[in-house]
Amino acid sequence: MTLFHGFGSTVPDIGRLKDAGDIPALIHHLSNTDPSVRWHAAEALGTCGEKAVPPLLAALQSRVIPVRLGTIEALGAIRDLRAVSPLLVVIDDDTSLEVRWAAVLALGEIGSPDAIPFLVPLLRDPRRYLRYGAATALDRLGWLPQNDADTVYRLIARQDWEAVRRLGAAALPPLRDLLRDNDPKSRAMIVSILGQIGNPQAQMACQKALKDSDPRVRWRAVLAAMNCGLASHNLPLMVAGRERTGPDPAAAALLNFLFLGIGYNYIGKWWGFPVFMTYMSVLVLAQLAMGPFLPYLIAYPLTALFGIHTYYLAERMSDL
Amino acid sequence: MLLDLIPRKKPDVGVLIKKRDLPGLIRALSFRDPDVQSDAVHALGDIGPEAVGPLVLALKRKNRNLRLGAIGALAEIRDPGAVSALADMMKDPGSEVRWQAAIALGEMNSHHAIEPLLRGLEDPDKYVRYGSAISLVKNGYQPSGEYELAWYYAAMQDWDRLKTMESSALAPLYNLLRDTDSDVRVHAVQVLGDIGDSAAGPALIRSLGDADRQVRWEAALASQKCGVPPIYLPRGLCQRPRIQKNPLIAGFLNFLLPGLGYGYLGKWWGIMIFQIDITVTVWLFRAEGESNTYILLFPLYLLLAMHAWYLAKNMPEEPA
Repeated sequence: MTLFHGFGSTVPDIGRLKDAGDIPALIHHLSNTDPSVRWHAAEALGTCGEKAVPPLLAALQSRVIPVRLGTIEALGAIRDLRAVSPLLVVIDDDTSLEVRWAAVLALGEIGSPDAIPFLVPLLRDPRRYLRYGAATALDRLGWLPQNDADTVYRLIARQDWEAVRRLGAAALPPLRDLLRDNDPKSRAMIVSILGQIGNPQAQMACQKALKDSDPRVRWRAVLAAMNCGLASHNLPLMVAGRERTGPDPAAAALLNFLFLGIGYNYIGKWWGFPVFMTYMSVLVLAQLAMGPFLPYLIAYPLTALFGIHTYYLAERMSDL
Repeated sequence: MLLDLIPRKKPDVGVLIKKRDLPGLIRALSFRDPDVQSDAVHALGDIGPEAVGPLVLALKRKNRNLRLGAIGALAEIRDPGAVSALADMMKDPGSEVRWQAAIALGEMNSHHAIEPLLRGLEDPDKYVRYGSAISLVKNGYQPSGEYELAWYYAAMQDWDRLKTMESSALAPLYNLLRDTDSDVRVHAVQVLGDIGDSAAGPALIRSLGDADRQVRWEAALASQKCGVPPIYLPRGLCQRPRIQKNPLIAGFLNFLLPGLGYGYLGKWWGIMIFQIDITVTVWLFRAEGESNTYILLFPLYLLLAMHAWYLAKNMPEEPA
């Protein structure tokens, strides 16, 4: 499959390096600025066989993400069992999501059943890319779920929402658990499924979703709440318990009290800065005329009023 | 526009009509009151072919409202002699102007309008594509073959029909992947997945680096339906734009202007620290002299810079 032409033409002679078996040079080109060169180098390394495994395992320690990605792709293509343990370490320790995802997929390519116990828990990861990767890799390894929970987690990882919904109450524990997903759209979908299943056991999850930081999730939770047996008159109170994402009224008031105008700017009023500059100019002129402290004594009672004003302005701003 | 802030006398379109004041009516097209504009458009339309020459000249003016109005008037006059000038407007940098030109070409009932409208189906803006598709039908256009039909359906956003076109739909779908509307890109990616042609692989891998989170995820799912080896997906995702804060910039700002580094990281209290620093520095200058002030504050600035650098370094990355 030629997937490279979309990234422009190749420049260095990767083919010659591959024919010469120059593994260090090929690894060097994994950090080339041209994505197509990096890709060609990774593919060439994947054809170098087991002699490339030790230098590739060393390259896994590189600080450059594309180098680690290319290395993992090559290791996945070589399918040498020596790569399994280092790849498991990458899954546990690497800071890059893409690198961890690639390591999960490479374990599926290598085909060692030893990786299965490490891949199954990834079906419960809060990042959907890792869950999806784990489901793909486990399929390649011929894994079959051992219990209902694993079945549901696998279906969720594959985004087979219709099958999850059909499972009904059996799907509730994994769905509740994966409300931890760090993607709001996934959380919104989970809440919708909870509503469609319509079981009182989903109440706690619905309550949690009503306080979600994302407005779309909260709205789906409102729609799902009635089906889960939550009384409609309780919903506003539950939503009010959410973590506020708008400006903090206390911060706005403090800023306006100390530096009149900045508090307005903080709550999104463009004219906050001109007010601040005017205030500071007047304050400096007054200090020149009256000395350093008297202007503050006059200013602070006045700015306290503006502080209170900003507090109420910020509190009335809706982030529902 | 800044010039709009300068008050202009409201033109009396009724008087201009009575005087048959063509230049005055054309000037009225640039007035920002929609009623005045609309009256001027209708008045010029009523004047008929006599107004075509001045209106075509007005198409070269820089004022966007004037160009929009002139195109609208030409659409009302329906003089086929204006087709070539309107075709030129399909290359205007303003998407509203291109959209208006596409609609006007639909009123011309001329086969000469077909070619520029076919080009309009390839426009990066969905409004222009949609307007072109409608106008083609008005001009009696019949798509010849699957390829042209696919471009037409893509412009009409008829996703179900596009799915049935299979590989004929690939080129228009690739074009939709450039759209500025992420919803359009999501749909295009989904349809590419439903078609399942392996030729779509490179385009889908590029879409994994899309700026929109949902497009990236749909591209991951769609690429699997198109037979893209899963191991290539992390590399595609790695191309996504990152909006992480630069620790060096945060540190540098906090060293030179203590507090602004925190502001750069989104901390509301950064500006407060900045102001406190300025006040303290001014008073220290007065009390201790210049060199003593620097000796006192320099280590503090260094600490603040290190703190901002550390905060930025440990900020979580935006979820993929």
